Amino acid sequence: MNEHIVKAYEDELNMLTAECARMGGLTEAAVADALEAVVRRDQQTADLVVGRDERLDVLQADIERKAIRMIALRQPLANDLRRTVAAMKIANNLERVGDLAKNIAKRTIVIIESDPMVPLTRSIERMGRLVVTRLKEVLDAYTSSDLERAMTVWSRDDEVDEHYNSLFRELLTYMMADPRTITACAHLLFVAKNLERIGDHATNIAEIIHYEITGDEAIAAERPKTDPLQR
Amino acid sequence: MSLLPQPLPLGPRRGFAAGPALVTGATGLLAMAGLVAVGDADPLAAFILALPVAGVAAIQAFRARGEAARIKAEVAETHAEVAAGQLSLPYTAVLNALPDPVMVISAHEPDDLTGRRFVMVNLAGREVLKIQREAGLLVTAIRDPDVLEAVDEALFGGLEGEALYEPGGSQERIFRVYARPLGMGGDGGRLALLVLHDETDIRRVERMRADFLANASHELRTPLASLSGFIETLRGHARADEGAREKFLGIMHVQAERMSRLIDDLMSLSRIELNEHVPPSEDVDLVAAVMDVVDAITPLAREKGVSLEVNLPPRGSVTAVGDRDQVVQVAQNLVDNAMKYSPAGGVVRIALEDGLGIEAAMAARMDQAARLSLLTPDHGPDRFAALSVTDSGAGMAREHLPRLTERFYRVEGQKSGEKSGTGLGLAIVKHIMNRHRGGLMVESAPGRGAIFTAYFPRVEQARGRREPGNPDKSDDVAKVS
Repeated sequence: MNEHIVKAYEDELNMLTAECARMGGLTEAAVADALEAVVRRDQQTADLVVGRDERLDVLQADIERKAIRMIALRQPLANDLRRTVAAMKIANNLERVGDLAKNIAKRTIVIIESDPMVPLTRSIERMGRLVVTRLKEVLDAYTSSDLERAMTVWSRDDEVDEHYNSLFRELLTYMMADPRTITACAHLLFVAKNLERIGDHATNIAEIIHYEITGDEAIAAERPKTDPLQR
Repeated sequence: MSLLPQPLPLGPRRGFAAGPALVTGATGLLAMAGLVAVGDADPLAAFILALPVAGVAAIQAFRARGEAARIKAEVAETHAEVAAGQLSLPYTAVLNALPDPVMVISAHEPDDLTGRRFVMVNLAGREVLKIQREAGLLVTAIRDPDVLEAVDEALFGGLEGEALYEPGGSQERIFRVYARPLGMGGDGGRLALLVLHDETDIRRVERMRADFLANASHELRTPLASLSGFIETLRGHARADEGAREKFLGIMHVQAERMSRLIDDLMSLSRIELNEHVPPSEDVDLVAAVMDVVDAITPLAREKGVSLEVNLPPRGSVTAVGDRDQVVQVAQNLVDNAMKYSPAGGVVRIALEDGLGIEAAMAARMDQAARLSLLTPDHGPDRFAALSVTDSGAGMAREHLPRLTERFYRVEGQKSGEKSGTGLGLAIVKHIMNRHRGGLMVESAPGRGAIFTAYFPRVEQARGRREPGNPDKSDDVAKVS
């Protein structure tokens, strides 16, 4: 009988990870669709992203409840405790990413009203692709418990920042050249900022994976950072 | 007691030895799938109907070591068995020999969304989805919500579903996923079949056509407008002016050449993009390829007053898996760029370093400069050979770096000399490097020139890696037998 109980416990832990992975899939799709909506000027896709955000909130609450139940009933220790806590933290980060994706989608409506700005959209698309890849990589690392892969995402966060800074300058140039574009550009600036923050959440998740696997939390302070304001 | 169903005894390691359970299970799978597929002529139907044929072929390959007569007899026997309904084909080998990823999914509770498990994956599937285990929770292999929804419909709605799936990675790939219901499994759970069909090629051709048209029509307009302007002038008031005519014809010649270079570059970019997900297979002597480029550029450098500093290991010592013409094009484009932006009296440095790990290949080569990876290869333990080209031009501010490989992007205020480029050189380099599973770095600071580093995976490591869609068949035959 004992053996069965342990097995169920292991299953529950696996389910928690799987639940996070499923939520990750939904989040990835939300970010990719929001980006698509902005780039292709597609209101329908944007509405879809906004409508689906609720599912993420529900899932996050669900994962949190399950994790708490797990801690209360099974009192996991060491490795198992870290896995439970990590699932809870990752779900939190994913929920935030979902909100940011929703925010990007909401801005589509204003951006569509202005004339298309091809080079800018291209830059947004490039940055967005990079962020989507980061998110995918880090979730792959999570489902396969691959520390090295998670650390690759972690150490390359500054690439996203470089793209953001470059885009920032580009947007300023546009707005100065033609004040009629200011409304749309301001929204694009927020889109870029949201993408940059999604990148930060991917890095956070990489740190959580590091904690889950090694138990070491000190890593957060060491991240290479480029600060655009101190140059 | 266990909350989860035990995985079905399918999988290449157990293979044939799993005996009657596997055979009946597989037969059922096949029969169900066949029933579902009959009546509509989609690729899945074609695949399922082709299974018995593939099975015979696999048997033949499988027993290739025996004498011909015996094989013949056995195949005839197999045919008889197939006809008599006593199937004993090596289904695991058959599934593993398929180039398309195939998965069987099992589930018990409709509400338990996370509890779907894959109970069988073929080799191609493990390659594409990067899974090591033979069975496990489905969401750890595929997270895409559209695919999961199609699976659910097949499991509990009994409906056939389709979805598009992108596995991610540097080389974009896109699959059409077909989900088909397989009815009830032996343990009371429901089963569904998932087949992934590679549609990367079709999508690429579509996109290439659109991109080519957009780029060509936009970029060719300027030189074309200038040409027709000069023609008009030559027909009008410059008709009798000998000096003006010569001058205009000269300008027209330059413009026409520019147009033809542009078309050449666009065509070669399109060609490279089409093949980007197909890795090259030849061995290339990197040193010799770079030497050829250096030899060709030397007279031009002398003419321009730029000195070349070349630092290469001996010929034949650095080999990469690559397409020789494309490797030469990478070196050519990088060196051309460096030449273009270096002033008279400047120096262009060309160096090749070998045996670097990924971190060393991406490491800084210029102090206190902005640095950005324009292309990073997918995660892998490879060793790389890095070609770096340093110029002594004006350099670039850091905000320009992310856009360098964008088509037709030009850094403002930089003059590239009278023979201006097409704006596609670095885009071409990036796509070639991506096809080679390599990477590209740029470092620069205003006033201090720039360093471009292209790194190729070394031959030993790149060899051993199998590519999705092209599984090594000898390997899995060995495993089964």
